[in-house]
Amino acid sequence: MSNHITTDLLVDYVHHELAPEEDALVHAHLGECAGCRREVENESALTDALRSAAAAEETDMPSLVAARVWETIRSARPSPLGRLAVLLRPAVAVPLAAALVIGAYVAVPLSHGGPAPTIDAGYYFEQHAAAQVQYPLAERGATLQPADRAALEDDSPPAQLAEQSNVGVATVDFISAVR
Amino acid sequence: MSRRAFATALPVAAAFFLALGSTNTRAASPADPALVLLRASLGAPKVVSYVGQLETVRFSSSRATATIVRVEHRAPSLTRRWYLAPESLYGDYTITRGIATYDFDIKNSRVTISHNPALDEQISSAGNFDRVLANYRAVLGGNDIIAGRATRSVVLINKYTGERAIRVWIDERTHLVLKKEEYHGNGAVASQMRFEGVRYTNAIPDGVFSTDPPSGYAQIAGHDFKMPSTDVGRVIQEAGFAPASPKDLPQGFSLVGGSVATTNGVKTIHLVYSDGLRTISLFENATGAAADFGALRPKTLRFENHDAEYVEDGPTTLLTWREHGVYFALVGDLLRNELVDIAKSVVP
Repeated sequence: MSNHITTDLLVDYVHHELAPEEDALVHAHLGECAGCRREVENESALTDALRSAAAAEETDMPSLVAARVWETIRSARPSPLGRLAVLLRPAVAVPLAAALVIGAYVAVPLSHGGPAPTIDAGYYFEQHAAAQVQYPLAERGATLQPADRAALEDDSPPAQLAEQSNVGVATVDFISAVR
Repeated sequence: MSRRAFATALPVAAAFFLALGSTNTRAASPADPALVLLRASLGAPKVVSYVGQLETVRFSSSRATATIVRVEHRAPSLTRRWYLAPESLYGDYTITRGIATYDFDIKNSRVTISHNPALDEQISSAGNFDRVLANYRAVLGGNDIIAGRATRSVVLINKYTGERAIRVWIDERTHLVLKKEEYHGNGAVASQMRFEGVRYTNAIPDGVFSTDPPSGYAQIAGHDFKMPSTDVGRVIQEAGFAPASPKDLPQGFSLVGGSVATTNGVKTIHLVYSDGLRTISLFENATGAAADFGALRPKTLRFENHDAEYVEDGPTTLLTWREHGVYFALVGDLLRNELVDIAKSVVP
């Protein structure tokens, strides 16, 4: 391939739209041409920016913005006297005392014959997966996280389930849709 | 160690070393072209850098769950996986640097850091390939085009049952596994992995693998997993009680290691059995501490007067039951009835 690659071709390359032969030619050219590599990086950055913007529109507030807001709220601390006054208000003091009593009860289960300790079922899956990964051809990622397993045992049809609770279940149909 | 624990430790350890010996003596000829290709594929991620899109579908008994990730891998050991699906994980990403994994949860502004020495590819390929050869026959399959690349497939067939266990499609030039299908004993597909696109490149910027948390992110210490120890006698001694071991395992499986951990104040022993490709984990705690299924919805079944519960995560099933004050949890990528047969043979 001589000189530089056309912008249309580069855009198609970034979006995986080229035929394998064209893709290979462009890929080979990029290995030698810094100018075209910059073009590809620019196009990729633009794509990521558009994708981020689209994702942000789907949620109430970008998580980073939300984190900064909370950070600001937390950093605006009242004076020590003000904090003490807040703690002594009945609306705070009564639930606080109740929480302390319950917390103490839960913290020492053996002394009062309370519920026996349990082991999170996710622990078993995680330990098993961690041991399995050392074997040839084992998965090294790209599986669901423990929090998403809750969806697996739900008897609702997958489409309904996703609509109801926004849980992490994707069906084969969903994959086709993503493509 | 109590006399009872010692009496159990001896046969368990003896069985372990016998299994090790038989594994080495039954290894197949390394000159077989299918084996050469398979061995090359295990080492490929150490030398091949790439970017691509990877789809994984895992089948449970009632549904399929899928993930789609964009993968950037720079040899030998830097990998970023950026989730496109499922919807709940969209935008989250995971960076693996050697044995350390950083899970970035963008919705909750936190990064969880965990370590697993088993992620070291050298550990995985050095000790366990012989075990695969002892229990599986590698057969060259046909040629196919996967993600625009010419591949050759290799099928691994269980030597005892004649059943196809796994099929991998290996890039003819780079030897990277571009597609993989795992099968249950009844022939059903247990899971599929496939690259939808792949591009080999060494020009992946360092920034892609940056583990610096974005501003405002909380850092959380995740698990520091331990490699299962092959010194089973010591593991049993550490547990402080005599674990029961399954008397009936699928052919080719043997005890390969174990570990002891304390979680939520409960000391639990973890025994690992493998035939080289598939793994079964048996967890036991002598305090009778049950599993907390949380939001999971376990189903119940009954075997030999035991009320058991199970949940599925794709093809992986967790089966739990209690017997003589010991709580058992059995995990494996086997059919439920296969796991129940193993559970029946665990007699404390």
